[in-house]
Amino acid sequence: MLVVDPHGDLVRINRAARTLLPGAGHGDSLHDVVPSWLSDAHQRLVRRQGDASSVAPPSGAIDERLFEAHASASADGDVVWWLVDDTGRHLAEQALHTAQERTDILAQVSSALLSTLNADRCMEMAAAMAAEHMAEAAVVLSPPHGRRHTLTYAVRGGPATRVNRQIDPRGVPGLSEALQGFPPVPARWINPDDIPDWLLPDGFSAAGSVIVTPLPGHGVPAGALVLLRSSTDKGFSEGEEIFARLFAARAGAALSAARLYTEQAAITATLMRELLPPVLRRTHGVEYAAGYRPAKDNERVGGDFYDFHPAAEPTQETLVVLGDVAGKGLEAAVLTGKIRNTLHALLPLAADHQEVLDLLNGALLSSHHTRFATLVLASVSRRAGRVRLRLTSAGHLPPLVVRSGGEVEQVPTHGTLIGALPVVTARTVETTLAPGDTCLLYTDGITEARGGPLGDEFFGEPRLRRALAECAGLPAEAVVERVQMLASQWVGAGHHDDMATLAVGAPRTGPLTVVGGTARHPLPRSGR
Amino acid sequence: MIEHPPAEFGLTVVSEPMTLTFHVTGELDYDTSGDLVHCVVEHIDRHPGPREVRLDFRALTWIDSSGLSALLMIHRRAGAAGAELRLDNRPGFLDDRLRLTNVLEHLIGCAQPLDAGTPEADGDATRAGVT
Repeated sequence: MLVVDPHGDLVRINRAARTLLPGAGHGDSLHDVVPSWLSDAHQRLVRRQGDASSVAPPSGAIDERLFEAHASASADGDVVWWLVDDTGRHLAEQALHTAQERTDILAQVSSALLSTLNADRCMEMAAAMAAEHMAEAAVVLSPPHGRRHTLTYAVRGGPATRVNRQIDPRGVPGLSEALQGFPPVPARWINPDDIPDWLLPDGFSAAGSVIVTPLPGHGVPAGALVLLRSSTDKGFSEGEEIFARLFAARAGAALSAARLYTEQAAITATLMRELLPPVLRRTHGVEYAAGYRPAKDNERVGGDFYDFHPAAEPTQETLVVLGDVAGKGLEAAVLTGKIRNTLHALLPLAADHQEVLDLLNGALLSSHHTRFATLVLASVSRRAGRVRLRLTSAGHLPPLVVRSGGEVEQVPTHGTLIGALPVVTARTVETTLAPGDTCLLYTDGITEARGGPLGDEFFGEPRLRRALAECAGLPAEAVVERVQMLASQWVGAGHHDDMATLAVGAPRTGPLTVVGGTARHPLPRSGR
Repeated sequence: MIEHPPAEFGLTVVSEPMTLTFHVTGELDYDTSGDLVHCVVEHIDRHPGPREVRLDFRALTWIDSSGLSALLMIHRRAGAAGAELRLDNRPGFLDDRLRLTNVLEHLIGCAQPLDAGTPEADGDATRAGVT
């Protein structure tokens, strides 16, 4: 408590105030002993003739602490100033403000980082934001790829730069631990002089203070974050270190998600390349054509496949297969690969479809799952201008044959799906294609294509048969294109599954017989 | 050419001393069949020993190959637990798929004649699996 007269001289000072203002004594000028915020407030109060009621009490610092000064005027014109220590509340308010600011930053960090699924871009953004909000420069280190790390540097206000280099993380205290996901080393344990040059971004000459913190990922470390400040006097406080860890947790989660996604996309792309259907071509006088339209969902590899094993000699049989694996994505891709490889190995046994299917079924059976495949095997040979087909369906939609006159027949082969039951049976059916006839194998992506005027109707087998009837006499390639096109048009912009078709055609070759003005071959119906 | 109002997948479980019944609603496909297997297997494991596991398909609107794969897995798990699997009120499209892939007999037992279990023959379908 201080009592001050209208001229600004100290009249009385109590013991508490004396402790606070050790030099002050009776008769001193207020101006000389207290900070200006209080002496100025006194002058203003005197000018208002002691009316303190209308204004908020002034406040300010005295030494390290904060005070609020409450005035009460006495009758003789002196003013009694009560100094109330306000440091605690002020600190609390400041802490709250900082906390709010940091929560905002963290929210920004999360939404910004999670908006990209590109791991490199994500690291650049994390480095830039760390430099912006917490330090002068920041470095994000990826976990090692072999012996190299990706380092992303950012200096406040500058662009992020990325390099791939071989480094020795043990050169930085706490860094190799952070890269393995161990808890961070407190900043004071790291001597800035120990920081190797490779950790300093271009244009950042020397580090004054450093924080190394792990970026925790989903179960595995996503890398490490290093924060750098140039001067030692503005080191990192404990609060800032905790904030850095919170930031790292958000950034690590986002980075981890981006990396997982990138990896998955790369795996899918690799598998897609590996599983690309073969190119079909006219072989030994028989036309082959296939069409494949993968589902739009391109992160999920679809389940349709076909394969083509042309015979070495014209007298031997060519094997074609078209099928569909239950499920999607990686599981489906793995199963498809297995089926294609196994069938390739079983080619020498292709004379007996049942045996091929037995062996294939045995190879695919698993106690872990009931993922199965349905497929059609077709062994094709050509003799004397006619194409002989041996067709076996293993739980698959039966093939359709369109005769050159426009009749459409279903080949009545029937059998058990492959890969889920201990025993499979199948009936092989033989048919013969005369010149101009075509046999179509297709997956349910065609018949179950949803679309039409209302958008939810199946393309269906009757519509497929009508489409085929219109294709009578066309080359195999044209039949495939027509069917794929009609099914695609039916679906329009809507969702669809994989659609695969494969056609085997007996070409119209040699001289045509002219009968009654129309050119056509005789249409034998034998061989079914 | 079956019309498909988009139907939400749903599963209701009725657990009785001898029988576990699952009423399946909506589409059983790639996105939902995992849930069905998970739920059925969990109930079989928790149950003291069901004699019958019944899947009621009265409100099933569609099934794809993933859904069929789920039925095969449920059949396998029910068999391992000593329970008989019954597929009740099978819609035509379900029977079509089971016949095409030649698993109808496997799933519902040999006693079931091939032409039973169409929607018109609910009574027959309900007795499927009783030997």
